Amino acid sequence: MVHTLKEEDLKMEAAFNAKPRKFVVWLFVVSSTIMFGGFTSYYIVFAASKGKGHGLVLPDLFMYSTAVLIASSICLFLASKALKNGNIGSQKLLLWGTLVLGCVFGYLQVDAWGTLFHTGAAFVNNNAAISMIYVVSGLHLLHIFAGLCFVTSTLVGAYMGISAEKSKFRMDIASIFWHFIDILWIYLYVFLLLNS
Amino acid sequence: MSTISLHDTHNHDNHDDHGHHKETFLTKYVFSQDHKMIAKQFLITGIIMAVIAMGLSILFRLQLAWPDKDFPILETFLGKWAEGGRIKPDFYLALVTIHGTIMVFFVLTAGLSGTFSNLLIPLQIGARDMASPFLNMLSYWFFFTACVIMMGSFFIQTGPASAGWTVYPPLSALPTAISGSGLGMTLWLISMVLFVASSLMGGINYVSTILNMRTKGMDLWKMPLTIWAFFLTAILGILSFPVLVAGVVLLIFDRSFGTSFYLSDIVMGTQILPNEGGSPILWQHLFWFLGHPEVYIVIMPAMGLSSEIMSVNARKPIFGYHAMIYSLIGITILSFIVWGHHMFVTGMNPLLGGVFMITTLIIAVPSAVKTFNWLATLWRGNIRFTPAMLFAIGMVSFFISGGLTGIFLGNASLDINLHDTYFVIAHFHLVMGSAAIFGMLAGVYHYFPKMFGRMMSSKLGYLHFWITFACAYLVFFPLHFLGLDGVPRRYYAFTEFEFMQKWVTVNILVTWSAIIAALAQVAFLFNFFYSIFKGKVASQNPWQANTLEWTTPVERLHGNWPGEIPTVYRWPYDYSKPGAEADFIPQTVPFSQTMSSNMPHDFEGNSESERIQREWEEENPSVDASK
Repeated sequence: MVHTLKEEDLKMEAAFNAKPRKFVVWLFVVSSTIMFGGFTSYYIVFAASKGKGHGLVLPDLFMYSTAVLIASSICLFLASKALKNGNIGSQKLLLWGTLVLGCVFGYLQVDAWGTLFHTGAAFVNNNAAISMIYVVSGLHLLHIFAGLCFVTSTLVGAYMGISAEKSKFRMDIASIFWHFIDILWIYLYVFLLLNS
Repeated sequence: MSTISLHDTHNHDNHDDHGHHKETFLTKYVFSQDHKMIAKQFLITGIIMAVIAMGLSILFRLQLAWPDKDFPILETFLGKWAEGGRIKPDFYLALVTIHGTIMVFFVLTAGLSGTFSNLLIPLQIGARDMASPFLNMLSYWFFFTACVIMMGSFFIQTGPASAGWTVYPPLSALPTAISGSGLGMTLWLISMVLFVASSLMGGINYVSTILNMRTKGMDLWKMPLTIWAFFLTAILGILSFPVLVAGVVLLIFDRSFGTSFYLSDIVMGTQILPNEGGSPILWQHLFWFLGHPEVYIVIMPAMGLSSEIMSVNARKPIFGYHAMIYSLIGITILSFIVWGHHMFVTGMNPLLGGVFMITTLIIAVPSAVKTFNWLATLWRGNIRFTPAMLFAIGMVSFFISGGLTGIFLGNASLDINLHDTYFVIAHFHLVMGSAAIFGMLAGVYHYFPKMFGRMMSSKLGYLHFWITFACAYLVFFPLHFLGLDGVPRRYYAFTEFEFMQKWVTVNILVTWSAIIAALAQVAFLFNFFYSIFKGKVASQNPWQANTLEWTTPVERLHGNWPGEIPTVYRWPYDYSKPGAEADFIPQTVPFSQTMSSNMPHDFEGNSESERIQREWEEENPSVDASK
């Protein structure tokens, strides 16, 4: 009797703590958005005062990478749904899918930098707008790396068979963060397309 | 059944230990995840950094007062930076830069918010700890590393960063521009990135804790003003520090990779640099988008602490509780749309300057609301002049006298004359420097018993207050007149300029005052460290205050309350309530226990409670008549 009470107590505590911790991730999302807001406002003011943007046709690779990232987000959404339905097997599979697609995204981004570099739009450039493409996509890639860590921790949790609350908590955190960086990249890509 | 309840208490005792029943020295004092210990770590690191920054200011004050005199002792300590006993111009610039950086960021942001947000948020809202104690610990250690790197820049060949605390490019962006723009600047940038990471981890934690972990009954409008101030400060930090990161990242690329974000058309000696197309003004925009909210990050916790301390020690409810909160919110919002007033003379479009001028002057409204509310709180109070109370009143004094000159500087046209002069120095050292440090000291004296379970000596506190208060005015007030005469800030030797020579005598007064003020801090430091070990043991509620932190036991335990977290029934400012037995009613006392002092508005329109109260009053007419 005592033993069950203790477990229940701990569960209650974990549930109690999950909400503020999830909120921490949301606040991080806000501050990260502000940072990219800082970069894009730099870009807007720069472009307005110089009368020129990056002036490039962005490599097609960015389009492919965007598609891959959206696919990875869908994958993660399905993983989350699988967990809700108690289907751990397909959750694991879909998490692996997300991880692979995330890595492919990273590869495509780096490849896109290569293409940019070979067409003469190097990072060290007298047009700061072109350098900015590298800065925003680079910092976004850092976020992707952090997102992959969250997804990995969810996956590891799924293999280790952690408690249902904990695995839901990890899944939620990974979802918030991964969908955020997905939307963030779409914003950056559209921003760069519109402000050439 | 009895076993169950026994077990229940046991579980609460070790609430946050997560299974670790024994704490080692390392987990208790070093990598502690207890918010109270982290608060102490922030405070003591902040005090050490403040002493260092104060020492730096004494060094450059010596140079300003006696530009032609040798101080051989300086060479002993500073070596080649003070050859022949005179501070070198390069080192002078490093001194003012690092003084500003440490004071603004390390003392008044981390030392103030870090200490009191960590200490008071869980205690005053009724939580066991922060939302993420681990992130909280990380926040301190990032801050500590940032401090070490910043101080480390004193031990390198080329010296610390020297481009001023705002590190404007191109001076800061070109490593060969001055010696301080070399490795010292790189270390400055690394240190600041760590510092911002620390601030964000802290701020995110504070906001999440306040929004999600309040105890039963603690709705937002029952929170003490300290919590409101920390909450809005943390929001400011979350929304503005990332922009500084954006700016710093671009500056790092300009310095180390050769990009042209801030650089264009630069000639170094005879060499034309390849950078083209960048704009140093863009740095100023990014910097001041953080920089202006930053000054409110510095002052708002001091405002919150002073409000709380003044209400407790005036034995009166804070005047205009809601107005205090709305003015804090107003300041928070307005602070994001005023940054341009730092840039009036950068060639800004006069129309845009006008817009920034108007938004800036509107900030005077919430600031004045706060000031009048503090004065009205003091009005006819039973004031207890504890050291904390004196410092809180001192904070108000500095906020008024420094704030008034803000109205001058906020004018785009007056700023043409006044910008970059000692008038600006005088303004911000009073309104955010002295005011914030007094708010912080008020907090230290007031919450010392909560932190260490002992009292500080009030006699030494009075000595500390009066000397510091007088000397702060003697230091900063005369600087207004230098500024009005057009004396620019950051100049190395007043003797080099005909029109500045007459001000050297004033500088001597200012420097002596600064030295005396610095000596007065010895009284504080002795009092602080002596009282930690040997001070009078504090009672549970030494100031007879209403807020929740004083319901915790004097022995500090992980999890804060030994049993259940208390429930909150009323706002935190029921002092000297007519009809009450004592002159304070803690937040944990339900209205049913204070029938003789309840007011109709206490029930917030709850008709059942109003009916019970009416019935009670009819049964006890004598008590009611005395009201």
